[in-house]
Amino acid sequence: MIRAALVMLSLVLPAGAEVTTSVVAPPQEGSVSREDGLAAWDRVHAVVSHPRCANCHVGADNIPMWSGPEYPQTGPHGMNIDAGDSRIGAETLPCATCHVTSSAPANGPNDAPAAMIDWQLAPVDMIWFGQSSAQICAQMSDPARNGGRDWIQLAEHLRDDAAHGGFVAWGFAPGGARQPAPGDLQSHIDDVLKWGAAGQPCPE
Amino acid sequence: MELTVNGQRHQIDAEAGMPLLWVLRDILGLTGTKYGCGIAQCGACTVHIDGMAVRSCQIALADVGGEVTTIEGLGTPDAPHPVQQAWIDHQVAQCGYCQSGQIMSAAAMLALQGEPDDQQIDRIMSANLCRCATYPRIRAAIHDAARRLATG
Ligand code: FES
Ligand code: FES
Repeated sequence: MIRAALVMLSLVLPAGAEVTTSVVAPPQEGSVSREDGLAAWDRVHAVVSHPRCANCHVGADNIPMWSGPEYPQTGPHGMNIDAGDSRIGAETLPCATCHVTSSAPANGPNDAPAAMIDWQLAPVDMIWFGQSSAQICAQMSDPARNGGRDWIQLAEHLRDDAAHGGFVAWGFAPGGARQPAPGDLQSHIDDVLKWGAAGQPCPE
Repeated sequence: MELTVNGQRHQIDAEAGMPLLWVLRDILGLTGTKYGCGIAQCGACTVHIDGMAVRSCQIALADVGGEVTTIEGLGTPDAPHPVQQAWIDHQVAQCGYCQSGQIMSAAAMLALQGEPDDQQIDRIMSANLCRCATYPRIRAAIHDAARRLATG
């Protein structure tokens, strides 16, 4: 399948906000070798397993994590936080009480992280925290657990989420002294497409 | 920029990035809302925006998308909000510094939760710190306020 059309997105955001321009340019299905596809997956995995992404891709206990170089040790989010089955804290304390919805989300080192959409956990099916590369790969390639997306739609999701100031863009530009996810959004989209064009191969 | 606080509209001449807490305290003189940490760690600055608890130290003036209620607008000395009345009856405050934030968080929770149990209270209120450790009285007052709200 070829979707040759390049989709250009450019955004005019308020001053201080990250301007995100990304392109979904899928290679022809089958045009990427399994080996190159697996190498692309490794780079995708480095992004999705990074604390900026994985800390909120947690399981059914609905408790976000604090992990990464900013924290002395890995553990549950402080303050007894529980995002509830709503995954937005509606049953307890809304995430957005502190993680405010902001037009300038790359904020200072001592501010709570903020995005241009309301802060929330990823759906429970999309658990990444503590999962192996093979487990995450299986989840991401399974439409029943990835929001019903094929490989091109996965890339489009990344582009579109970033375009409205969601967490994908934030992960690469989290502001303050937070370590960003490795690489940049465009390379991540390109890697997802390379992996997809190779047939979404997963490590053993 | 226009801002509605406690039912009153204000024209605010300030930078778009000024934290709401600064606007409330330094421009509008509403000093019931306290500055504890400035980094979303203590809850002393909690206000409501369209009824939801928000840390006013975290949100920039330009991002305030609804009506703000502060402790001064929740109730008055003559007609206190049921949470404020429970706080008085249980004499919750020690130094008092954290208490307007505690009350605003509790009031936002009780608008949604009915009668929370201890575990729910701890889930919801753990992000409001009290250096005087009035936590047992906070819990008792929340249970009491929940009963009052339930019975009208
Ligand atoms: S002053 Fe806002 S949370 Fe401490
Ligand atoms: S009463 Fe003193 S900080 Fe809470």
